[in-house]
Amino acid sequence: MNDKLTACLERVRKPARYTGGEYNSIIKDKSNIDVRFAFCFPDIYEIGMSHLGSKILYGLLNSMDGVWCERVYAPYTDMEEQMRQRKLGLYALESKDEVKDFDILGFTLQFELNYTGVLNMLDLAGIPFRSADRTSLSPIVMAGGPCVYNVEPMADFFDLIVIGEGEEVMPELVNLYRKAKKVGWSKQEFLKNAAAIGGVYVPSFYDVEYKDDGTVKSVTAANGAPKTVKKRVVADFDKSYYPDRFIVPSTEIVFDRAMVELFRGCRRGCRFCQAGYTYRPIRAKSAETLKKQAEALIENTGWDEVSLTSLSSSDYPELNDLCTSLVAEFEPRHINLALPSLRADTFDINLVENVQKVRKSGLTFAPEAGTQRLRDVINKNLREEDLLNACKVAFESGYNSVKLYFMIGLPTETDEDILGISKMVKDVIYTFRQYGKNKARGVRVSVGVSTFIPKAQTPFQWAAQTEREEVLRKQRLLMDSLKIKNVTYSLHNFDSGFIEAVLARGDRKLSAVLEKVWEKGSRLDGWDECYSLDRWMQAFEECGIDPAFYANRVPEKDEILPWDHIFSGVTKSYLWSEYQNGLSGRATPDCKAGCRGCGALSLTGGGKCDV
Amino acid sequence: MFKMRILFEKKDDAAYISHLDLMKVLQRSFCRAKLPVKYSEGFNPHICMSILSPLSTGYRSKYELCDLELVSDGMPEEAEDRLNRVLPDGIRVLKAYPSAEGLAVAKIAYSAFNIELEGGNAEDALRIFEGDVFFEKRSKRGSKQVNMKDYIKSLSFSGTENGMLCECVLAAGDDPLNPSYVVGILREKGIVDANSVVRYTRTAVLDCDAKLFS
Repeated sequence: MNDKLTACLERVRKPARYTGGEYNSIIKDKSNIDVRFAFCFPDIYEIGMSHLGSKILYGLLNSMDGVWCERVYAPYTDMEEQMRQRKLGLYALESKDEVKDFDILGFTLQFELNYTGVLNMLDLAGIPFRSADRTSLSPIVMAGGPCVYNVEPMADFFDLIVIGEGEEVMPELVNLYRKAKKVGWSKQEFLKNAAAIGGVYVPSFYDVEYKDDGTVKSVTAANGAPKTVKKRVVADFDKSYYPDRFIVPSTEIVFDRAMVELFRGCRRGCRFCQAGYTYRPIRAKSAETLKKQAEALIENTGWDEVSLTSLSSSDYPELNDLCTSLVAEFEPRHINLALPSLRADTFDINLVENVQKVRKSGLTFAPEAGTQRLRDVINKNLREEDLLNACKVAFESGYNSVKLYFMIGLPTETDEDILGISKMVKDVIYTFRQYGKNKARGVRVSVGVSTFIPKAQTPFQWAAQTEREEVLRKQRLLMDSLKIKNVTYSLHNFDSGFIEAVLARGDRKLSAVLEKVWEKGSRLDGWDECYSLDRWMQAFEECGIDPAFYANRVPEKDEILPWDHIFSGVTKSYLWSEYQNGLSGRATPDCKAGCRGCGALSLTGGGKCDV
Repeated sequence: MFKMRILFEKKDDAAYISHLDLMKVLQRSFCRAKLPVKYSEGFNPHICMSILSPLSTGYRSKYELCDLELVSDGMPEEAEDRLNRVLPDGIRVLKAYPSAEGLAVAKIAYSAFNIELEGGNAEDALRIFEGDVFFEKRSKRGSKQVNMKDYIKSLSFSGTENGMLCECVLAAGDDPLNPSYVVGILREKGIVDANSVVRYTRTAVLDCDAKLFS
């Protein structure tokens, strides 16, 4: 380790975030490597190391001969200060080599408030921000992740962007790069060939024109790039690559455990949920495969917990059998099973008790809205009876705390809907008083309330975010009605939600704002202590951009949306019809009741969803 | 039931693993090595183990001790190799052996350190510690004014390629002296620069007779 890094590490909190050397991290012999890939996560280590997609791609890329994939995370503010003071460039954890000398930098964009983190990492690495300012073949700066369904505010910074799942397209891209390097292609030649790979979006090949009112006039593809870039998915998810070992961190991270992925996609179709639309079609792994993968991970990591992840775990067809056999295998070895993302309407107390034999955790449900009317608008097909019934059986069996998640600022929301939240909370407390096993202990209800953010490629992409004053009024209304014993609540900071909304439906004009706000000091905007709305508002003003145009405007039906040239699989007409159903309060049955023809099956060439 | 003691070293990247994190790192390694570990009873069972005389984050060590309770009747076969195959970079088991009975931990009286310093003159440095050195010592119970002399068993400086090496034996146990106080004095007196690089390495743990504690 060099002296500069040692000097930094001595002066920062939690230095183990910056050292690498964790068990299962991969060190390769540089003399046998022709592609060096820096997997960049624009948030701090604890967050990045918890991310499943990174683990999959890290294992996959390192399984390729001649390719070495290393990890890079955003330094926290104290480390950044030390690095800048000591002129230590951004380095990768495995080799500690500087990122600027790598062949490819791959950023994952998990949510919009990480965008300034990308710029800051590029700056720390000494790499120019804009794709146009990087003319040589190396480094290529690319991106992937859930934000790609509208990545336009970041489009000018990346050379290419992967739309969809990386398991197949990443090896194709890396091999193409290898060829480019060998043959001596220019960057432009490489990008032209890359654009021919399914799921690869080369933003510089798309010319965007705007109307006088600021909306998109046209998007024109050049250099043979497809008119719309279609999302890549893995057709046979059961057989797709999955690592048999994860890096075991030597310091605490957010999700410090093994994970297996039950299925991708979600059959519920909640109209606000971007993942619910963009991860379609639904593809499940077999229980057999999952058992093998969980067993291998536990063997190779020594973790004492396995989490069964998905967007809605109780919808996994073989959940009971899978849990029973995993518990039988793991319980005697003191290995816990975690089952997040359960729904109240299919809540099975026997399953939960079975799963939580090793360690009991709390229960969490997400009704999202306080009245049936509003739950129909957002298509959260959950009835209050279902929630209360789930609470009843849980309380009867000894649980005495429950977490409830809601959103405010949803389309068509009235004060009645807001007060419905506190009514629901009171009903939960009443249920405990009736059925609680140990009434003397009392009940604890924690209520988490976030603000609705309209996201691209969902039915609510046409909805406006509620304006600040109105959200604050609704928050106060809710707080006043929630001053109840046994209830704690936490409100999501609206100010960062506003910027998230601007970027979520933003266009390429915002790249100048991103540069400006970074200059003013924005980095880890996802962290309250680092975030400043004032900084953002100044940047908007200096760039002559009205943020309300993006956050609070309702686009027209026929308007070209900035992300229309990216195709998630679900057609715009389907999204529109779902939006209309929402506005008129009509719920849509989930996909198990019959295929609704959203379009996503076109990505896998037909067949049917695993519902 | 059986108690095994593990002597290990901790260097390079692994020096930055904090004490609590190191517990977890070792526990997971025990699981990977399939040692017959004993779990505590109760609501949240955990592996019964302890690290003796834990160090500050960032310190290297050639002499770390950990006691681990096992459900077996004696030493597991090839415990050292099994552990060394599954430990992260920088942590290596030197020896695993049956732990002595009783309150052995209470016998730890001193820790020996090597402190590598950037810059400074060995003679000047040594002169500072020849007489009384009063300083404010902080602990969980508050801070107090003490004489460093009372905490130093031995101390020497020698010149190196880019500075000095300080070899010292300092109080451990109930009222220990963290070697960073020694460096703090050197910085305060201007012997070494406040921004210079320092590397701490524990080389041994000793009992009250200054014999190697094992």
